[in-house]
Amino acid sequence: MIDQFQQSFQEEARELLGELEAALLLLDQKRDDPEIVGRAFRALHTIKGSGAMFGFDDIARFAHDLEAVFDQLRKGKLQANSELINLTLAAGDQIKSMLDEARGTGAADRDRSTQILAELSHLTGRHEPAGETAPARVVEARCDDGAAAREWRIHFRPGENAFLNGTNPLLLLGELRQLGTLQLETDPSAMPPLSQMDPERCYVGWNMLLTTSLAADAIRDVFIFVEGECELEIAPGSPAAPQSPAGRTGEAKPKSGSAAGGNGSAGASSIRVSAEKLDQLVNLIGELVTVQARLSELSAQREDPDILAISEEVDRLTAELRENSMSIRMLPLRTTFERFRRLVHDLGKELDKDVELTLEGADTELDKTVIDQLNDPLVHLIRNSMDHGIETPEARRAAGKSSRATLHLSALHAGAQVLIRVTDDGRGLDVEAVRARAVEQGLIDGAARLSEAEIVSLILAPGFSTAREVTDVSGRGVGMDVVRRSVEALHGSIEIANRPGAGLTVTLRLPLTLAIIDGLLVRIGHAHFVLPLANSLECVELTRQDIENAHGNHIANVRGTIIPYIRLSEHFQMESERGEREQIMVVETEDGRYGLVVDEVLGNHQTVIKNLGKLYRDVPAVSGATILGNGTVALILDPHRLVQTAIRSASQNNRSDRGWTRDRHAGTGGAEPKVPELLGART
Amino acid sequence: MGKVILAVDDSASIRQMVKFTLSEAGYTVIEAVDGQDALTKLNGPVNLVITDLNMPNLDGIGLVRKVRANPACKGLPIIMLTTESQESRKQEGKAAGATGWIVKPFTKEQMLAVVKRIIG
Repeated sequence: MIDQFQQSFQEEARELLGELEAALLLLDQKRDDPEIVGRAFRALHTIKGSGAMFGFDDIARFAHDLEAVFDQLRKGKLQANSELINLTLAAGDQIKSMLDEARGTGAADRDRSTQILAELSHLTGRHEPAGETAPARVVEARCDDGAAAREWRIHFRPGENAFLNGTNPLLLLGELRQLGTLQLETDPSAMPPLSQMDPERCYVGWNMLLTTSLAADAIRDVFIFVEGECELEIAPGSPAAPQSPAGRTGEAKPKSGSAAGGNGSAGASSIRVSAEKLDQLVNLIGELVTVQARLSELSAQREDPDILAISEEVDRLTAELRENSMSIRMLPLRTTFERFRRLVHDLGKELDKDVELTLEGADTELDKTVIDQLNDPLVHLIRNSMDHGIETPEARRAAGKSSRATLHLSALHAGAQVLIRVTDDGRGLDVEAVRARAVEQGLIDGAARLSEAEIVSLILAPGFSTAREVTDVSGRGVGMDVVRRSVEALHGSIEIANRPGAGLTVTLRLPLTLAIIDGLLVRIGHAHFVLPLANSLECVELTRQDIENAHGNHIANVRGTIIPYIRLSEHFQMESERGEREQIMVVETEDGRYGLVVDEVLGNHQTVIKNLGKLYRDVPAVSGATILGNGTVALILDPHRLVQTAIRSASQNNRSDRGWTRDRHAGTGGAEPKVPELLGART
Repeated sequence: MGKVILAVDDSASIRQMVKFTLSEAGYTVIEAVDGQDALTKLNGPVNLVITDLNMPNLDGIGLVRKVRANPACKGLPIIMLTTESQESRKQEGKAAGATGWIVKPFTKEQMLAVVKRIIG
């Protein structure tokens, strides 16, 4: 490959020599034109630099001395005269013959080179040809393997301008790490208070302990580019501890000791505490979080760094305390799940069905209060599956299935929620039958057009039942709406996935806890709202320009993805002047990603959930309320249901606009807020 | 995603060598023949500039100053290619805001080591 570079250097050098010659001839006419001197200098400089790169060392050395002369010319230390110009022309010819020689098409006279250089130095009055150390000096003495590893204490703080100069200190630390074992400690002592901090400047430093066999010079080499602009101290530390066999046996002793200690403490690994005490603890922490919010608010107003520091510390501790005590209340679902084995067994006998219960994710933890209220809905779902979904062994064999049916119970975490699924491999829902039944029971109009998913969700409607005859197990007219109500009481929701002929999956989506969550405080008009942080993906700005670009559709382009949004001030029919910039909170819901437009995003908020009174029970978009630092109340929004109601009212608007029958939907009570133009692009 | 390196040198052979070496190491290399040319190529995504010092139109130091004055290129790392005789120019480049330098003549390994140190 080097041949190829040499070839192109040959061509380039010849071009440059032509350039040099042209410049010299011009120079002969205009002796002190700096532009022309510069041209000659650059040509020689490039010949020198590139020559050395590609192994033309003699050319590089020769050009170097010439370049030195032209450098003096350039700096005005020397005047050009015809003698010098002629000599340089001759030197150019000499370089050409050296190039020819390298290519094997001629021979260069070394004596001629020496002669030219001698004449040059005579001319410039310098007797030594530019006293320069040989350029091709490479320091290779970095690694002496024989030396024993030792410790170096290194203090390094990049200059404040490091980032602006394109330095990435982390890469330098990474390079150090490759030299040996590196222990590292951040040194934030030069950090200014947050209010005075410029995010583009570097304030942080590091104290490091590097164990390596390399010398200080090799360590210093890593920092060569920042030297002089940073704090750098490299001092020898103590020699690394020898890895002697004696040391190892010494280690073994405390190990056996700690094992004994471990046995001793295992006895006290858990204690029984009454649930009441835990509830009390969580309530107290709720109060503490509320008080803490007041403290943060106050410290933010005071702008006193001391109070701010304390408030931040308290904030951190409260969050930790909160998480800790919440985790105490968390229980695995296993006990609940295991109890259903008996239920499935007994029901199977009673109904003459052969069913195997499989469990998954039984170690998933959930707040105790949630688990307590989960038992009944789950029993109901299992009964439903066993009774309606799963067929008799004969029917299963006829349908080509194994005579033994499977009922699968699973739990998994998804953000701040837990998904609990009841899956059977029975016959699934007969969509037409459900529809007919719903019409029969007056739940929907006979002419209503519903999607399959909408029809399936009808089984959650009050009073709905597909069972033609009442059995002992289920079908007494009290149906899935009971499940729905208890799940909604837990601020959860239900999804149904129907696979006709192959089974049914009912998913319960439940919050991890009912007490305190991480929220994002937002402002709409003069009111504050809290969005659960677990559902929030990001916030982006919505400018007037963006709105104009969307031609009246409520859609935003978030890094190339089209996201429909809901303008909450319109959705809630609130007064709010539309500012130049609004914020879109992108939330993840069951129906995909949606944006919620608010006036302002205020920041993180540890949210103690307070239940709303009976009056507000049917407001679908609100899951609770919380008390803010200044004592006012903020409603907690439920993004899932917020988006669902918005979609529903939008699709109703669409349908009624087109003269379609307006559907009566299951599960939506009361008047819904209008969301004009919402999802104008979607039909 | 390969990082993009802008190689600025009036010497075609040096550009070729830089491009070959860095492309082999997985970087994407675009070329510019002098400082002026380089400025027009900084509009696209560039993660690192490697520039010679002596060039017609706009030299390396001038390029460093222009890049540092351009807010769109904030924090863009710049490596200068220098020769041993340019110690003072090197200091000038550092003062103008260059991130590091490589002394000519250099080997492939030396160049890669410096590039790695600066952009990883």
